[in-house]
Amino acid sequence: MFTTGFKFFFGIGMALATGAVFYGYTTGGNHMGPLSMGWKGGIGEHLGYSLLLGLGVTAMTVALFLVFFRDADPAAQAHYMGVEQIPTNNLVTASFWPVVGAFGVGAMAIGLVLHTAVFVTGLIICGVVAIEWLMDGWADRATGDPEANRALRNRVMAPIEIPALGAAIVALGVLATSRILLATSKLGSVVVAGVVSVLILGIAVLFARKTQINKNILAGSVLLLAVAVLVGGIVATVTGERDFHPHEVHHDDENGADTGEGH
Amino acid sequence: MTMTDSPPAADTALAAISPRVVGLFDALTTTDHKRIGRLWLRSGLLGLLAATLLGVVLTIENSNSSPDDIFGGINSFFQYFNLYRFGLVLLVVAPLFVGLATVVVPMQVGATNIAFPRAAHGAVWLFMIGATITVVSVVSDGGWGALDGVTGTERDAIALTLVGTGLVIFALLMASVCIATTVVSLRTSGMNLLRVPLFAWSMLVATSVWLLTLPVALGNLAFIYFDLRGGPRIPDETFGIAEGSHAIYAQIAWLVEQPQIYAFAIPVLGVLGTIAPVVAKRRHAQHVVAVALIGLFGLLSVGGWSQPWFQGNNYDEKFVFIIFGLFAVIPVFGSIGAVADTIVGRSSDSDTDSAVSSDPGASGESGFAGLLSVYGLAAIGAALLLLAGTVAGLARVIQPWDLGDRTTETSVMNLVLFSAVAAAIAGIWFWAPKIGGHELAVSTGRLVVLDIVAGAVLLGGADFVSGFFEAPAFGYHVVGSSAPLPSEPSNQGFVEVMNVVGTIGAVLIALGVLGVFAAIAKAMRSSDGVDDNPYGGQTLEWTTSSPPPPGNFSEPPERVVSEAPLLDTVNENGEEA
Repeated sequence: MFTTGFKFFFGIGMALATGAVFYGYTTGGNHMGPLSMGWKGGIGEHLGYSLLLGLGVTAMTVALFLVFFRDADPAAQAHYMGVEQIPTNNLVTASFWPVVGAFGVGAMAIGLVLHTAVFVTGLIICGVVAIEWLMDGWADRATGDPEANRALRNRVMAPIEIPALGAAIVALGVLATSRILLATSKLGSVVVAGVVSVLILGIAVLFARKTQINKNILAGSVLLLAVAVLVGGIVATVTGERDFHPHEVHHDDENGADTGEGH
Repeated sequence: MTMTDSPPAADTALAAISPRVVGLFDALTTTDHKRIGRLWLRSGLLGLLAATLLGVVLTIENSNSSPDDIFGGINSFFQYFNLYRFGLVLLVVAPLFVGLATVVVPMQVGATNIAFPRAAHGAVWLFMIGATITVVSVVSDGGWGALDGVTGTERDAIALTLVGTGLVIFALLMASVCIATTVVSLRTSGMNLLRVPLFAWSMLVATSVWLLTLPVALGNLAFIYFDLRGGPRIPDETFGIAEGSHAIYAQIAWLVEQPQIYAFAIPVLGVLGTIAPVVAKRRHAQHVVAVALIGLFGLLSVGGWSQPWFQGNNYDEKFVFIIFGLFAVIPVFGSIGAVADTIVGRSSDSDTDSAVSSDPGASGESGFAGLLSVYGLAAIGAALLLLAGTVAGLARVIQPWDLGDRTTETSVMNLVLFSAVAAAIAGIWFWAPKIGGHELAVSTGRLVVLDIVAGAVLLGGADFVSGFFEAPAFGYHVVGSSAPLPSEPSNQGFVEVMNVVGTIGAVLIALGVLGVFAAIAKAMRSSDGVDDNPYGGQTLEWTTSSPPPPGNFSEPPERVVSEAPLLDTVNENGEEA
């Protein structure tokens, strides 16, 4: 009836609880204090009493869990499930989302210190990751066939993911590139725009001509490009925009101010 | 689209989820516990290299008669010394054991993968991000407080250090959940808790203690952060930022002091208990006792309650603190005794001996030659270092000696943590065929173990001896600055000699760590195959190929009937059952 694990932890729990009572009485506890957790009387030295009793209660709680789950004995589990042997744990498909989630949490942490916008970005990333992770978890258990699971997941999520991802990439790219263009000189911005356009076109042509692309090259290229654009955008934002001079500015000349002219 | 209701064959299913490519894509998407574990191990080894090199510089600075030369000021020294202490715990020892456990534990319990593999994968990346933020922020004038007060420019960098540390701890907690759940829930048929291999059991105990205590550190960090950023003001500024001193460090110093420091060395006993029977080529003579002793050591390493900052100067005079310090020696000594019984008593168990020696897989080194294997030497060295660390901890709580706030504290930390490093190296050498499909060089390995164990003895021993001459815990030359420590050594000349000895120890350790990298690089260049069970291992990870396939086992392991399943498959006549 009582499992080995239960006996082990219950014994430890009882020993600790008894020790707590003994410790309480020997360090100034009086009346029924150590027995009633301070309800009727003092418990003596608080730290040691609390620690011993807390650990004792924890051990006894663990003991109750163990007897309930039969020491998590696989044979017992199999018996309850009515099978010969408990099934192996579910096969979990490879996924980008844990890494993206880690970067999201990292962005939140950095944003907490440096800038609210970074924090909010991280928060949004974490929200997206939470949804995607849940969907992946559901799809992994949908059927017993991983290929079918993958197809099912894509059928549900791809119509949402692809437009959302496309929009996010375009928005981030435009935002970051615009920051870079605003931070560089007039001539520089023309050069940057030209180079970026040619790069995007060239890489797209290269990928389009290939029937089979190595996933490492694809992942590396996307990562490199994304990091380059984002880092450029962040640096440009920090640097600030270049000085702009309005084409025509009219001043009342009463204070002797200059009349500006665009360059 | 057609759906199937019945599961396909295991190999088909595994092929469907197995990444078809390796490299960057694989590192970003994998859910295979062995690949995730390797990411942890690489992070831990990189941290180990950086920490030991930093340790050399710090000890050189400490033995320098005109201090502050290298770091350019006592404040920088304080920041980097703290980086060394917290780095060694959180960025080296913890990830090394988590990495080993992530690779080995699922196989030891007969599971096809770790529990919550995506969470395990997310944890390792979160760890790397947190570690990067922590290190970069410390280099950028951040750290865990500033002796000369927190100025405006340092405030953000210190805040980043705090959140970076928080991320690292959170990642370790995520990984702990995965490992503990694997041991509790994914064991194969017949493997009850008393039949779990000792390394897996020690990781269950260790991760349980981490899950109980590290959230307390997260709480500490949160309070400090809010205080630093001018959030909800705590009455009387209890969290100390306004004092502009070592206050931030002091609030989380309990992480690197006894008893909490022992929590990071619990797996040392597991590694020892797993490797010793392999070396002795017989069952562990006291397996159940070893299980109980590891549990007891875990209990005595719960340290979230021992916070000097909040308990006042006489915290080390409290009865519970003293009891924890005195009793911590017992499980370590007992574990070493159980292992000695296993090794020395080997000749009395001739039946098992003959069975094991005839096991075709048990082609590892035999008899006392096994003791000279790299993993044997490292495991025993690690256990002895841990014993030395707990003995130093015992001396630390003996009140008449008054070793509180002395270098004895640093001694306990260094001895315990480098015992953990030695145990991790033992594990890396022992499980190398399962981690990367290679064997690591024996000759280099022996030098590595010798360097690290000898270096740790010198480093920890020098600090231990200096403690008796009233050398303050944070480098005696701090005295005279705005540092919190009030006294000077009673024999400054002798302490200076001990500091030089400590420097020699740090250099030896660094050389040993470089040797680890050399051995791994050599093994990775090698194209030699390795047997499935080259050392005569007794637990389930040795039933699969080296390196193991996705899913670990081509077919589910047979029902387990003892703690050494591979010995059960060999009958008394030496034939496989």
